[in-house]
Amino acid sequence: MAVASGEQGVTSGSATEAAKPVVIEAIGVEKKFGANKVLRGVSLAAREGEVVSIVGASGSGKSTLLRCFPLLEIPDAGDVAIAGEVLALVERGGRRLPRDIGQVQRVRSELGFVFQSFNLWPHRTVLGNVVEAPVHVQKRPRAECVAEAEALLEKVGLADKRDAWPAQLSGGQQQRAAIARALAMRPKALLFDEPTSALDPELVGEVLRVIRGLAEEGRTMLIVTHEMSFAAEVSTRAVFLDAGIVGEEGPPEQIFRHPQTDRCRAFVSRHLARG
Amino acid sequence: MMAELAFLFGVTRKLLGGLPLTIELVTLSVATGALLAVAMALARSASRIAAVLVSFYVFVFRGSPLLLQMFFIYYGLGQFAAVRDSFAWPALRDPTFCAILSLALNTAAYTSEILRGGLASVPSGAIEAGRAVGMSRVMLLRRVVLPLAIRQALPAYSNELIAMVKSTSLASIVTLMEVSGIAYALVSETYRAIEVLSCAGAIYLVLIVLLTRGVWLVETWLSPAGSRA
Amino acid sequence: MGNALRLVGFGPTGWGGTLLEGAAMTLALSVCAYLLGLAIGALCAWGRLSGGRAVRAMIDVYTTVLRGVPDLLVIYLFYFGGGQMIGAIAHLFGATGFFGLNGFMVGTIAIGLVTGAYQTEVLRGGYLAIPRGEIEAARAIGMGRLLMLRRIIAPRALRFALPGMGNVWQQVLKESALVSVTGLAELMRQVNVASGSTQLPFDFTIAGFALYLALTTVSGGVFMGVERRVAHGERMARKQRA
Ligand SMILES: Nc1ncnc2c1ncn2[C@@H]1O[C@H](COP(=O)(O)OP(=O)(O)O)[C@@H](O)[C@H]1O
Ligand SMILES: [Mg+2]
Repeated sequence: MAVASGEQGVTSGSATEAAKPVVIEAIGVEKKFGANKVLRGVSLAAREGEVVSIVGASGSGKSTLLRCFPLLEIPDAGDVAIAGEVLALVERGGRRLPRDIGQVQRVRSELGFVFQSFNLWPHRTVLGNVVEAPVHVQKRPRAECVAEAEALLEKVGLADKRDAWPAQLSGGQQQRAAIARALAMRPKALLFDEPTSALDPELVGEVLRVIRGLAEEGRTMLIVTHEMSFAAEVSTRAVFLDAGIVGEEGPPEQIFRHPQTDRCRAFVSRHLARG
Repeated sequence: MMAELAFLFGVTRKLLGGLPLTIELVTLSVATGALLAVAMALARSASRIAAVLVSFYVFVFRGSPLLLQMFFIYYGLGQFAAVRDSFAWPALRDPTFCAILSLALNTAAYTSEILRGGLASVPSGAIEAGRAVGMSRVMLLRRVVLPLAIRQALPAYSNELIAMVKSTSLASIVTLMEVSGIAYALVSETYRAIEVLSCAGAIYLVLIVLLTRGVWLVETWLSPAGSRA
Repeated sequence: MGNALRLVGFGPTGWGGTLLEGAAMTLALSVCAYLLGLAIGALCAWGRLSGGRAVRAMIDVYTTVLRGVPDLLVIYLFYFGGGQMIGAIAHLFGATGFFGLNGFMVGTIAIGLVTGAYQTEVLRGGYLAIPRGEIEAARAIGMGRLLMLRRIIAPRALRFALPGMGNVWQQVLKESALVSVTGLAELMRQVNVASGSTQLPFDFTIAGFALYLALTTVSGGVFMGVERRVAHGERMARKQRA
């Protein structure tokens, strides 16, 4: 049943996408912190090349949902699957834990996660941050990783910052470096958690430009954002998360211009008025 | 078993006989050291030469072992006839005086650094705000600077107090019969080092736990509600 | 005065060489005790952060007791009590007589144990100071526990712990003077001996001050150099902004 609702979500997207395989999927995910039920059965899937934007009020569970995909949070119920592979969870001592931490680590290395607060490692240079995981987690030859990292830095416009330290960069530059770091893993999907919320307004544009470029390349992405007009423009589908459930889902024209539900309409009008 | 307990009890009772002296060493040296530290802080801001001298003093006393400092005062100074003939000699020949003096000089060096850190931590905005409402220098110091500086310096000073309690044990090396001195004598007398030293250790531990508790009370009392981390 | 200089100096009748040997012994003892304390501290910090309730309670007892008891008593404990313990074991095997640990071992164990308690707190603090997001990023990218420890956690914790570790080192250097009570020929002991046989305690304590200050200052500089290297990225950035 949970799977069915996921399929339903996908079919409401554009018909041409329907043939592509599902890359990343949440199936009936529930999560509570203490008595606080943050996610109450969320199903969501992105097919290859889809850009799904997730919007919703602050505290509606967007970050928690996103963090469930690489199991940075472990769902209390429901599952996540990456490229059709369900991340196995087992009940142990009243807690739910990954059955195979090796599987989790491998799958994590196949996803790129971009944090609101960048989280670059300050003890490594920009290049060091980008090649860290390809060299040490994926164990690819260093020379190959460095060459690829340089190409990625070029792409996010940081070629000249290769040997700079994170603390020497502006917020926008740090976030672009963090995107390069995520891309270096050759991820199957990219997850963005409010990538521009920690930035000064004049730095937002440079990061959005990079993300837009990635969307145009046809990368599979989930983007949590408050930048409504940007989301409307780049996403192939949008999800309105409302107090831990999917309140409305559909093509961006629907969610951002003609919402069907009252709560989504209220949310969007509030945010578009502000933006 | 009973004999064992009786032994431990007897040892503890004898060790407690040294407690008044230990406490005397702590209180006198801490009080003297604190006065010296305040004097040094004032001197530091008074003249450039005084500041250099104070820095040198702090450098020497923080950079060398307390035992050497104690040795210097108790034995080293007596090398000169001039010292031996002076009015200070009766005091400098007295191990209790020498122990207190060296402990005080030592803690003064550490305390003056702690004080300096506390004063440096006072945000300049707080001082500016005091000036803006027309506080005098003295009032500014008393109402703004000192409360903030002391609150900031208290945790470090608490550690210094604990270190001082432990340092008094060095007085036993210049023959004082405080808790450690008695412990040493009992070890040579009974050859039961582990039992005797455990009892002595326990006495220090209790002393330090009480001290920590006391400082904690002062700290809560000084902290404005809601400002505790 | 000329006579005193000759005695403190390096000539045939001088004590300079003896004092330097004492300083070398102080350094050797301090390094051994420090390394032992570092190993204990790392182990206990790890246990304190990720152990079960019983392990954490035991470590708390250890750090509380060893930070609340004078170092001199701990040294006596191993100096006199060490013999008591080894003697008891030796008697089981039919040996008789007095047994003791040598001063170097006593000093290493006693000071190592005491400073291990301080290192535990320093290293734990270093770990806790790492911004959580940096660890999160390492997890998200698929790092395993060991890899994360080696590549992210250890270097970052070290950066935050280094000032505290430097303080512990200074403490070790100074506390090592207490080991002179065991008769170990370290610097404090040599100052004591030289003072006694020459009747020049003033001159030799001054020489002692000079050598200890040299040790603490030079090694303090080394620690600061390491600190600067480890904090490289942040320091560069500060300089650039300034
Ligand atoms: N680790 C946590 N522990 C306790 N509560 C949490 C934790 N993470 C998130 N929450 C709570 O979950 C709710 C949803 O948080 P979040 O997913 O961050 O919302 P959003 O990203 O939509 O703003 C909030 O009420 C937040 O306080
Ligand atoms: Mg969020």
